Amino acid sequence: MQRRDFFKKLGTVTAVAAVMPAMSFAASAPKPTGPNKMDFKTALNAITGGKKPIKSNKVHLKAPEIAENGAVVPVTVTVDSPMTDSNYVKAIHILDGKNSNARCIDVFLTPANGKAMFSTRIKLGGTQDVTAVVELSDGTFLIASQSVKVTIGGCG
Amino acid sequence: MAKARKSLIKIKPKRYKDGEIVKVSFMVMHPMATGMGRDKKTKKIIPAKYINSVKFVYNGKEITHMTVWESLSVNPVFTTYMKINGKGKLTVTYTDNTGEVNEKTKKIKPRG
Repeated sequence: MQRRDFFKKLGTVTAVAAVMPAMSFAASAPKPTGPNKMDFKTALNAITGGKKPIKSNKVHLKAPEIAENGAVVPVTVTVDSPMTDSNYVKAIHILDGKNSNARCIDVFLTPANGKAMFSTRIKLGGTQDVTAVVELSDGTFLIASQSVKVTIGGCG
Repeated sequence: MAKARKSLIKIKPKRYKDGEIVKVSFMVMHPMATGMGRDKKTKKIIPAKYINSVKFVYNGKEITHMTVWESLSVNPVFTTYMKINGKGKLTVTYTDNTGEVNEKTKKIKPRG
């Protein structure tokens, strides 16, 4: 019986020894940075710098009207622009209305792109507006938005 | 240590000539954790891990760069257009909020 007890104890000791370094490693790992919080107005202000964006039909925002899964919502932004050295699209910003961080992505284009188009897939927490803000090379801002109905939220 | 991630650069159409404008899409396998979600089993918050910035460089010249926030979907796709301008390499560099830097290159071979 003594021998059995010895082995039992040995087993627990090794198990504790194996777990301990893992725990200490987890404690020393960098703490997770909290999620960025930015509402739609401050995000829009940060992009345009106080200028008022103009609603334009040059910006084509393509997003589904009803998204069954909020985790993957395909968004495509196309801008009618010649993309020459003097007249091109400087940046395309994609924003959402209700997520905790309203900014999704800022894309900075150059004339070497040839066509002003960008597409990705974004996460949406609920039914909200998706907005595209476009900055032209002469400093004007264009805006287009569309509401997307989300049946299952995709955040988290 | 930067862990190698699965990534892919796709060019459409597959055969292209010099001076043609082609569609370039870059896909990467990445968790894109927002830092708000919880693990269903352990109930612990999953730490934020998302792509910070992406850069498209073609023959040493920067074509597009992006600032990315956490609300892109898991395994994101970035699609733009690009003008083909001679033989060379297209390099996509992407950075994580945890400091992870990775890159992917594709040879550009215009035909005809």
